[in-house]
Amino acid sequence: MQMDRMSIAAYCIEAMQKAGIRKAQCSLRDQRGDELNVDGGEISLLRTTHDTSISLLGIVDDRKGTATINKTDRKSIDQAVEGLVELARSSRPDPANEIAGRQPAGVFSNGPLEPDLGLMYDRIREFLARTVETYPTLILEQVILDFVSRKKVFLNSNGVQFESSQGYYSFSPMFTSREGSEASSFNYSGFSSLDLDRKLHEYASIDTLMRQSTEQVRPLDFSGKFQGDIIITPDCLNDFISFITGYLSDYSLISGTSIFKESLGREIADPRLTLRSMPVSQENADGYFFTSDGFAAENSTVIEKGVLRTFLLSLYGSLKTGLPKAVNMGGAWMVDAGESSFEELVRGVDRGILMCRFSGGDPSDNGDFSGVAKNSYCIEGGRVTHPIRETMISGNLANALREIRGISRERVNFGSDVLPWLAMGGITISGK
Amino acid sequence: MIPKELTGYRSLFSDYTELRAQENRSTSIALVNGDVMSNDRSAASGVSARVYRNGVWGFSSDPIISEERIKAVISSSTRNARFLDGREKRGHGPLPSRVGSAVRDFSTLKPRKTQKELIDFLREMDSRISLEYRGIVSRTLVIQLLDMEKSLLTSDGGSAYTMIPRSILYCTLSMEKDGQPVELYEIYGGFGQFEDVFTSPGELSTQLDSLYEQLQRKVEGIYPEAGTRDVILDADLAGILSHEAVGHTTEADIVRGGSIAGDYIGREVASPLVTMVDFANTALGVPCPVPVFVDDEGTLAEDARLIEDGVLKCFLHNRESAAHFRAEPTGNARAFRFSDEPLIRMRNTAILPGSSSLDDMISSIDDGYYLMRSSNGQADSTSEFMFGIVQGYEIKGGKLGRALRDTTISGVAFDMLKTVSAVSDEMRWTCAGMCGKKQPIPVGMGGPALKCRVTIGGK
Repeated sequence: MQMDRMSIAAYCIEAMQKAGIRKAQCSLRDQRGDELNVDGGEISLLRTTHDTSISLLGIVDDRKGTATINKTDRKSIDQAVEGLVELARSSRPDPANEIAGRQPAGVFSNGPLEPDLGLMYDRIREFLARTVETYPTLILEQVILDFVSRKKVFLNSNGVQFESSQGYYSFSPMFTSREGSEASSFNYSGFSSLDLDRKLHEYASIDTLMRQSTEQVRPLDFSGKFQGDIIITPDCLNDFISFITGYLSDYSLISGTSIFKESLGREIADPRLTLRSMPVSQENADGYFFTSDGFAAENSTVIEKGVLRTFLLSLYGSLKTGLPKAVNMGGAWMVDAGESSFEELVRGVDRGILMCRFSGGDPSDNGDFSGVAKNSYCIEGGRVTHPIRETMISGNLANALREIRGISRERVNFGSDVLPWLAMGGITISGK
Repeated sequence: MIPKELTGYRSLFSDYTELRAQENRSTSIALVNGDVMSNDRSAASGVSARVYRNGVWGFSSDPIISEERIKAVISSSTRNARFLDGREKRGHGPLPSRVGSAVRDFSTLKPRKTQKELIDFLREMDSRISLEYRGIVSRTLVIQLLDMEKSLLTSDGGSAYTMIPRSILYCTLSMEKDGQPVELYEIYGGFGQFEDVFTSPGELSTQLDSLYEQLQRKVEGIYPEAGTRDVILDADLAGILSHEAVGHTTEADIVRGGSIAGDYIGREVASPLVTMVDFANTALGVPCPVPVFVDDEGTLAEDARLIEDGVLKCFLHNRESAAHFRAEPTGNARAFRFSDEPLIRMRNTAILPGSSSLDDMISSIDDGYYLMRSSNGQADSTSEFMFGIVQGYEIKGGKLGRALRDTTISGVAFDMLKTVSAVSDEMRWTCAGMCGKKQPIPVGMGGPALKCRVTIGGK
């Protein structure tokens, strides 16, 4: 007989305890996906997927191991538990290895349970037709519209019990524009949503980026090297947020390499910056309700008026460093709206760039970052003038956060993240 | 374990169908400053089917590999293809077929190491670093093992059973200068299971010593001067350039999406010294880091000579793009998980070695840089690229000088490759690459050292 998800997770905990694992944790995820793909401008694929994941964490004498399988039958679980015991016993004792303490049980749900496949098809068709009509020089390289239905169960041997059910649509187009032999850089955007009530191009910044792509077929070289301002668009701001939060996470703080390791409670950014993580919200299409280490998630303010209010440490990271545990795992980012309009931000830039996409890696341990400004524009004399190419930007993250010149009132809602335009000074901009 | 043989299900196929059973098994161990931060094993297996009907595809997957579920995914993927066909009514004909058959199992014949032995391997390395290397403020050692086992059957007769393993060991060390961390990493290993790739921690001592020495020099290093400069790109960078800046632009789906390479077939895109190949499984008589014998559409995998003596010759194809471009499929359709559909992916992309010695190439530069290792690389369909540089040296008067701190290089690959004036006579593979394009996939990247001109970003 097939067991339900809660019974499977309960069996896992029982099997681990029988095998001598005192501290046991089971995280079960059952996910179904329906996905429509467009390749080369044509609908190409309808993909239906189903997968299950059971992640078992066991701690034996302060030694930890994790085993993950995608089967739910008892034989597979028993074998995984047997392997987990070997993993845990093989490891080294570390008092920071712990599981979450008892909390009130929680059952959460958000979004539709089933996709409207007919509507998904119609929305894609409508999007393709409008693209051909509105942007004839734009080529849709790949477009994905999918619906994810995800059910999760979390149990541990301290009695923690969470259950969640989520369903949402997400859309991600990738495109290039061409006129004869001249081409723009590729660009992409996306959103997640609980419904498909609107036409796809009307969500988030989809239409703006597609229009910009058609303008970027003949970019101009950017000349010289100077310290200037950049205005980071909402699509690009996510990269910079991930740079910041990378320094607030377990690895950076445990290894001691974070540039913000001594900064909790201190000002690390211009007072105009407030960054929140808002995973728990009925409006949020793909947030989460509990953390992977078994705590009910809460919304949090990571940076409040420039002051670092929390690290993003897990239970392990917290016990390892002696620093406070975060109330969530980050993500679902929201930057508070500023007081300037986008136009006012642009008017405040004498010479700089409107930074629409950042092509570069994570910053160095010391916070230095550099990369190419892709799909971006020159700003001169307070006006966005023309698209640019082969332009590099570089700076230091800690310094750049103190050089925020303004934040826009307007924000883009990506269904999970809600982000404004952000102007930042002291950036080295170098062209040919 | 997955079934090695799927031929019994052929009678269930109605349209063109691919049936694949797959298991990915991975191990990950991370030691941070001596503590075991992660100690994980995972396995994900399942079955999928993909069906082609008049120009559209249907796909379905299930994590349970049983006769009942296999029948269900064939039925569901057929239903999906018919759903789209009924609306799109594209009426395309059958896809080109050049099927292959292969059975290749690269599992080790040696006794498998236990998790404890793997952890002890890292601990021995860590202990040596901790005891012998002064001034190290942070040390991270990571083992990542991946076995990809696949069975495939296609309705036109393609079949394969393969087990392709990869074993990688990362070491990242950090020192401080004026209170600021300076780090450097090295990657060891590649194709094969751990027992066939690594013998003992002591075997890596020389390479660890070298990493430490290079880090000490980097701590005292300088930032390069920004501008367009004469440089030597070492093998690591030639490999990432081949993959990111050229290889992606020649993937036929990217070409259909507007890649600049679409205009360049038969045209000179590089110096005549440059020949670039996407190898299927064997390069210059030696197995590649990611050997592919039959791709996930059942096509016999063959080398694709992308650039020959500086001239762009071909694109990388799956069956559908081969039909679109009236070309032969090259065996580049690959899927990462059982639940993924095959996409056009590179396999082992490399520039072939030339005839110059690296020493002579360095001697020939009066004022420039020797760039050795990248942290990351990105490029777009115009072939404009950006690579982070984490290891390199200045060249002054034909000799290596001070080490470099982190910087970046950028340019347009099809312009930059025309400036190549020397190619070294030795090539090296980078075996840890994981390419991202909807799905991740292991790839090999390789090359010799190249002398060329490139824009360097300075600080």
